[in-house]
Amino acid sequence: MTDLPRSQHIVASGAVALVGITVAWISWTQESAAAFLFPRIISTVFVVLALWTFGKALIGKTKVGAGLSRNAILAILPGLAVMLVYVFWAAAALGVYTASTVAFFILLTLYDPAPHGEVRSWIKRVVITA
Amino acid sequence: MAVALLIPFTFQLEPASGLILLGAAYTSTVAGGAVSAILLKIPGAPANIATTLDGHTMARKGHGAKALQLSFVSSAIGGVFGVLLLIFLTPVLAQWALAFGPSHLFWLAILGVTIIGSLDGSSVVKGLLSGCIGLWLATIGFDDIMGAQRFIFHDSLAGGINVIPALIGLFAIPQVINMFAKGRKRLDAEVLEVERHPVGDAIREVLRRGRALTIRTATGSIIGLIPGVGGQIAGLVAYDQSRKMSPEREKFGTGHSEGVIAAESANNATVGPSLVPLLPLSIPGSPTAAVLLGGLLIHGIFPGTDLFDNHPDVAWTFINSMLIGQILMCVFGLYIAGLAARVAQVPNAVMAAVVLALAIFGSYSVQTSMGDVYIMAALGTGMYFLERFGLSAAPLVLGLILGPIAEANFVQGSMIANATVGIGPYFFTGALNLTMIAVVVASIAYSVWMELRYRRFTTKEDAIEKEEALT
Amino acid sequence: MKTLIAAAALAISGLGTAALADGHENNPARPVMMVSYGAGGATDFQARIVTMTAGNEDALGMPIAIVNRPGAGGRVGWNWLATQADADGYTLGAYNVSHFVAQSIEGGVQYSVDSFEPIANWGADPAVFVVGADSEFDSMQEVVDWAKENPGGFTFSGAGLFVGHHIAALQLEKAADVQLAYIPNNAGGAGAMRAVIAGEVMGGLNNLSDAFRPQEAGNVKSLGVFDLERNSFPPDVPTMMEQGFDIDNASVNYRGIMVPKGTPQPIIDKLAEIVPTMFENGSVASRMEAGGSPMHVMTRHEVIEMWAARQETLTELLAGL
Repeated sequence: MTDLPRSQHIVASGAVALVGITVAWISWTQESAAAFLFPRIISTVFVVLALWTFGKALIGKTKVGAGLSRNAILAILPGLAVMLVYVFWAAAALGVYTASTVAFFILLTLYDPAPHGEVRSWIKRVVITA
Repeated sequence: MAVALLIPFTFQLEPASGLILLGAAYTSTVAGGAVSAILLKIPGAPANIATTLDGHTMARKGHGAKALQLSFVSSAIGGVFGVLLLIFLTPVLAQWALAFGPSHLFWLAILGVTIIGSLDGSSVVKGLLSGCIGLWLATIGFDDIMGAQRFIFHDSLAGGINVIPALIGLFAIPQVINMFAKGRKRLDAEVLEVERHPVGDAIREVLRRGRALTIRTATGSIIGLIPGVGGQIAGLVAYDQSRKMSPEREKFGTGHSEGVIAAESANNATVGPSLVPLLPLSIPGSPTAAVLLGGLLIHGIFPGTDLFDNHPDVAWTFINSMLIGQILMCVFGLYIAGLAARVAQVPNAVMAAVVLALAIFGSYSVQTSMGDVYIMAALGTGMYFLERFGLSAAPLVLGLILGPIAEANFVQGSMIANATVGIGPYFFTGALNLTMIAVVVASIAYSVWMELRYRRFTTKEDAIEKEEALT
Repeated sequence: MKTLIAAAALAISGLGTAALADGHENNPARPVMMVSYGAGGATDFQARIVTMTAGNEDALGMPIAIVNRPGAGGRVGWNWLATQADADGYTLGAYNVSHFVAQSIEGGVQYSVDSFEPIANWGADPAVFVVGADSEFDSMQEVVDWAKENPGGFTFSGAGLFVGHHIAALQLEKAADVQLAYIPNNAGGAGAMRAVIAGEVMGGLNNLSDAFRPQEAGNVKSLGVFDLERNSFPPDVPTMMEQGFDIDNASVNYRGIMVPKGTPQPIIDKLAEIVPTMFENGSVASRMEAGGSPMHVMTRHEVIEMWAARQETLTELLAGL
């Protein structure tokens, strides 16, 4: 293992800890106290645990979780982008069915291992989409 | 879920056919959810979370067909047992189901929380952290009791986070992204190999694990009786208890068939008992039972004494449809298991797109709301990254399910306590309270012991490494 | 048998099933009615029954599709209707008074009585005070007497805060001048009833239609109806007024149809004329009666007055919170 996963662990657990602190801050400052009693208890435990993991990541003692390799990030990014555009924009703007068909087709094109140069594989994609 | 979707259709049907449809759907959703849980690691219902732990690992090792067969056979046995309980012991059990008040339900939820920690066995701290995130997510939205607005950062969150879209997002989206990650690479090597597995062997295997089966089925039935909690956590509790009591406990989580048997027999055993309070007392014992109640009322049929006195034919049609449903489910499921090989051979790219589309339709149709789809996608994407760093989805969903139960019962219990005997006596006295507290303490002690022995669980470490190598 | 297999096939994948429900939205040629509670709930199934004859020639001539937008005690659906729905006359909504009025007074929502135009009212479900069958109390006076000796010690359940049951509870405290311990239940009316039958609380407020069945089954006793007159369902349960408490019908749960503000006036007028006659259809009435749901048809004009009266009473009642 290189240093990459370690710094990633620090960033990730740091982010989780930040969320925890925000949540705790909101719970302890919002009124009414009665309605926020339960969130207060949870968020406090949340922060303690998150800081614990963060500390462990800092000293490099994280035992589980593989982290992300550069290749993996490159591989998922386009798919992730298609997915998010599909969900947050296209599904509402183009209609669910149109958007699904288009997204389906793009995903197949991106990730189907068949060579892109051949007409046959394109036809196959269209057929599968339909 | 399916029951709610079918209600509008049954409106047009004769009462008897409508009830058969509802009864069959009610029984089959829980067992059916195991299919996607095993093949795709996406539980079809909250009840199937425990099934993913060993079931999907089995499928990845090439024993998908076997896992499916085991799950359907044990589902059917658990399910039939549960319905038989409903038929023969309803009058006795109904009173028992009523014995659970806010304080007991609160302790039960806490018990669930303590299970969170040891759920995937890799790291108790990270398990609890995931659980906490889930508990927090559960508090988003308008608070049911006080009507206060909590953590509503976006309009879509006003209604809170619905468990079904969250479940779909937290399990399905990370799988989709994983498929992206390996999609373009060599395909053939990644295809799951599914060996043929004779059905007879599966039945024999289930029966051989008779002890586990009986205990889990009983556990499931008992938990299924408890209003509001039942079906959701029975599978997990049974799985957890199985692991703690089993002489081969280190095999759990590595594709151990007993894990699948325990989870599926228990969660299906809840189906019958969850109707125990509904039929004689007209009190729904689970969210699905509540929907079912509505479905009955549409046809002018009131559960309660009226049902058995004035419409015995309808009542028995309904109960029998559940019994037959269990058996048909099993036969149908075993047939499906034979086809599992095909599913596993679908290329990653196609699979990713199909699962994504289903996830979107699925979460949209729960409440016909795009907001749910946004929540699903956001949670799912976040979960992918969290998973990469050792947090897992199962405890998070468990937190999401248990949060409202723990909170509501705590708040109601303390309101009642303040008006009557006071917090201390209300939550800490009485045989039922003390029993539950004892179980909670035992569960915590076990988790601590597990954490201390963590390094010695080399097989578990191996399993984790294998998993990482595969994904 | 075929249905069984079909159902099994449908249910086999929780994900697959879900896709089925999609598809009956965004069809502008067809009226859609939003119900802000889940499928199978009382409001939902009543809405389905009263609109089932909409397709008849003497009614609207086209069927009304029901769309559920549940969440946060109805707030999600009504927020949507007030701010996002098209006011084109094809978008209707079901209302529950007092719920949405009380919520708008409480605050934190994007609607008030002025955000909607009522069309007609189809049902009225008064709150009723119930105690367990083996309870020592046999009348409201006995309950109040006990509560006076034990201020804040009488526990009773209801379906939540800012709903009819909560309003009834506030009315009772005010009229009898006692302090009670109202325990809102997170599982709605069914959960509140469970708490009474199981003896977790000493009494409870519940919908008359839901209290009727446990009473028939001998699980609870009904002590008083929070309405102006007795109901035909259990005619032997006296009103609160009869028992000497100055409590009117402010907590009665009225259900009806409304449209968002901005819907063209001609359409409102036409709907207001047709819809009440649609409710009075004989098959609707018999089906509602079979489902144990009290009908109470009111015209647009009457509903406008009822909303205004409710707004006034509730503002006063909730001011102290």
